[in-house]
Amino acid sequence: MSTATTETVDAQAEAAVEEGEKREQTRLAALWSQHYDLVILPAIIVLLLVFLFLYVGTRQLDTIEQRVLAPANVGGLLWQQILLAGASTVLVLLIAVPLGIALSRRGARRVQGPVLAVGGFAQALPPFGVLLLMAFWLDFGFTTAVVGLTIAALLPVLRNTVVGLQQVDQSLIEAARGMGMTSRQTLFRVEIPLAVPVIVAGLRVALVLNVGTATLASYIGAGGLGELVQQALRLNRINVLLVAGGIIAALALLIDWLAGVVERIVVARSG
Amino acid sequence: MNFLDYLASNSQQILFLTQAHFLVVLIAVGIGSAISVALGLAVSTGEPDPRRFSLDWFATGIREGGLVFTAALLTVPSLALFALFLPITGLGVTTAIIVLTIYTLYTVLRNTVAGLTTVDRAILESARGLGYGRLRRLLTIQLPLAWPVILNGIRVTTLISISIAVVGAVVQGPGLGILLLNGISRIGAANSFYQVLAGTLLCLVVAAVFEIFFAIVQRLTIPRGIRV
Amino acid sequence: MSETTDQPVVETPDGAGKPDMIVLEGVEKIYPGSTQPAVSQLDLSIPQGEIVMLIGPSGCGKTTTLKMINRLIEPTSGRILLDGKDVTHVNGDQLRREIGYVIQQGGLFPHFSIADNIGVVPKMLGWDKQRIRQRADELLHLVGLEPSTFRDRYPRQLSGGQQQRVGVARALAADPPVMLMDEPFGAIDPITRDRLQDEFLEIQRTVGKTIAFVTHDLQEAVKLGDKIAVFATGRLEQYDDPDTVLTRPANDFVSDFVGGGAAVRRLSLLELAHLELHPIETDEAGAGGAAGRNGTAVAEVDGSGKPVSWRHLPGGDATGVPLVTVPISGTVYDAVDVMLDSSASLVAVVDEEGRAQGVLHWNDLVGGLRTRERDA
Ligand SMILES: Nc1ncnc2c1ncn2[C@@H]1O[C@H](COP(=O)(O)OP(=O)(O)OP(=O)(O)O)[C@@H](O)[C@H]1O
Ligand SMILES: [Mg+2]
Repeated sequence: MSTATTETVDAQAEAAVEEGEKREQTRLAALWSQHYDLVILPAIIVLLLVFLFLYVGTRQLDTIEQRVLAPANVGGLLWQQILLAGASTVLVLLIAVPLGIALSRRGARRVQGPVLAVGGFAQALPPFGVLLLMAFWLDFGFTTAVVGLTIAALLPVLRNTVVGLQQVDQSLIEAARGMGMTSRQTLFRVEIPLAVPVIVAGLRVALVLNVGTATLASYIGAGGLGELVQQALRLNRINVLLVAGGIIAALALLIDWLAGVVERIVVARSG
Repeated sequence: MNFLDYLASNSQQILFLTQAHFLVVLIAVGIGSAISVALGLAVSTGEPDPRRFSLDWFATGIREGGLVFTAALLTVPSLALFALFLPITGLGVTTAIIVLTIYTLYTVLRNTVAGLTTVDRAILESARGLGYGRLRRLLTIQLPLAWPVILNGIRVTTLISISIAVVGAVVQGPGLGILLLNGISRIGAANSFYQVLAGTLLCLVVAAVFEIFFAIVQRLTIPRGIRV
Repeated sequence: MSETTDQPVVETPDGAGKPDMIVLEGVEKIYPGSTQPAVSQLDLSIPQGEIVMLIGPSGCGKTTTLKMINRLIEPTSGRILLDGKDVTHVNGDQLRREIGYVIQQGGLFPHFSIADNIGVVPKMLGWDKQRIRQRADELLHLVGLEPSTFRDRYPRQLSGGQQQRVGVARALAADPPVMLMDEPFGAIDPITRDRLQDEFLEIQRTVGKTIAFVTHDLQEAVKLGDKIAVFATGRLEQYDDPDTVLTRPANDFVSDFVGGGAAVRRLSLLELAHLELHPIETDEAGAGGAAGRNGTAVAEVDGSGKPVSWRHLPGGDATGVPLVTVPISGTVYDAVDVMLDSSASLVAVVDEEGRAQGVLHWNDLVGGLRTRERDA
């Protein structure tokens, strides 16, 4: 009798363990099926870099190429690039997000339309041109580049924020007001929390734009990876050109991927 | 000499570069849109049956993979793509057009897929119920109904291409970027600022021309029953 | 169909003698990823020219059944015969061009004009333009829409009810012998729905299609159906004419579904025009000679022939009995309503001009009602 009971208990325990494993498996499977696309980009990046290394490894580099492609040189330019993009992104977010929220307030609704229209049209305004014009206005160098990058990315991010906030469920806001929240309370307890995904999306847009434009900062003497391209063109060195293009592409993809992962996490958190 | 004087005295060169810019964008967007719309049409099937292996699986794979891949391409800075293509396709207009074409792919593909797949299910079901085959459904129901969304994708990608085409000057692609590079390399010299300013602002003029063009195309090609 | 019955029960003509147009034999549908069949082992025969109403709670498989008939959904097993031909393996698109199909949301193509929408199937069948255009106008007429006003409009320029009619017209376009309708009047307000139902019956009287019609509205099923098929989850619970379903539910499920008050509900099934009424005679006001007509009620009429008061009632005193009327286009339900309202034990049934056609007694309700030729 007792043995039989133990057996049953054992069987139950086994079943429970199996059940748990199964659940774990299905959880992983669900996670995988939702986010399998996140693996694609790193795979592309790794492939790109492997290909580059293999290519450069098989080439006989001349002294000029060796100097330009020296890790210290490339690393320094990479760091400059990241600083440029990072600083301008922070600035863009500090300006565009509050402005976007302000524009979505009831009083400013009327300006929204024009902002969206101008913002849409401004996509045709080349960031390269904005950057160069800044150089005439201020001077060559890092600060000018950051200002130029910030200005160039401002309208797109602003537009993105306004569109995103428009999509925040109006009925929730109405419900909050209906429960007696003041408009301030509604803003901080309902609208901004709901808008967090929008803000993170804005971050991603700003980052991608700025990493791209920052490669052009070398034309106004602010360094960055564009310098590598410029040197390669000046020296007519194809190997350098390929390495430069590869590194820039890999960096941009990586940053976009990271921003994308952050975006997913934030969206998942905010339900 | 003020800006207007500069424009007047260099009108020939400026006009030529503006036209070149317009054409490069037009060609790239044309090729890119044709590829994306065709691909979108080819791969916009429904959800594949999980129990049976069919062509739908390929289509779905190509669609999802294509979207992720072209989206990734769009984040690659233009200078990098120009640099990567230069050794293969050389200096000049070919490289400029190829790179621009690559940038147009994602937006149009995304809008094509979205437009085709969000057509009201009731409409598709009644089409099927009336005996429409798959191809007929795709071409006479889904495509016309998705067309406004697709066209908007082409419009947006055109605007983006106008600003990217400027960088094509780095590989000696034709267009307004030449004014920018000239200007910055002669910084301090007479009219260098005006040159850069003209190059930047004329992009907006090109954009305005395209906007008018799209407004007309919209009017002509969007079926009357779904015009807003 | 001309059969006179002399039992005291109203009978809807059954399909005896008519060939079956749609036959489902052991049809089953199990959706992928599901273990429960959505429809299981269904046998159903729909005689030619009849309307069969599929009714049942939500999710019971009505739509699934309907869509298996035109193979929008492939049955997992079983056979479907259309006009005696097994269609389980023919080309689905070809098949669907020969079956009219109407869905609840209308499903009109928003980028096609109304005429083009109606012409969809004829065009695929290769009709010439002139003929398609004529057909569209003809059908617009049939569904009560003025062709010159509507043929060049687009769906969004029509109201919901108008779109619904166009949906019906489109399904009728190539004159298919069979029509499938999935809650075609579902999304429409009750008043318009009622009118559409009347028009639908009117149209059916002229076109005589075999129709499978999904609804979740018992009232609609009773009003439109020659037969009603009551479904529970995946199973056919009863398949009978409306009267039988209301009065003799096959089991507890059906009687629950039909709900209480079936007998009263049944009254609205009985159209006065189809009843054998008691005769009525009329006299001009002031004229004498009411004697000797013991078996017939006599009403006094005014100058225009409208009855105003009772002069003589068989086996009773006519004084003090109010004369109330009910139009002959109504149902017994309306007649009862009028009688209760005025505490009268009988009611005069009048035609459109208000002239008396017959009399209905309160006692008839319990004593039994007689129909006469249905198509009279
Ligand atoms: N494409 C599908 N895949 C899986 N299951 C389905 C599918 N379509 C319907 N079902 C299931 O089959 C059952 C019957 O569905 P059906 O649409 O036939 O119901 P219905 O009787 O028309 O209901 P309603 O009155 O709500 O329209 C339901 O349980 C439904 O969930
Ligand atoms: Mg249904």
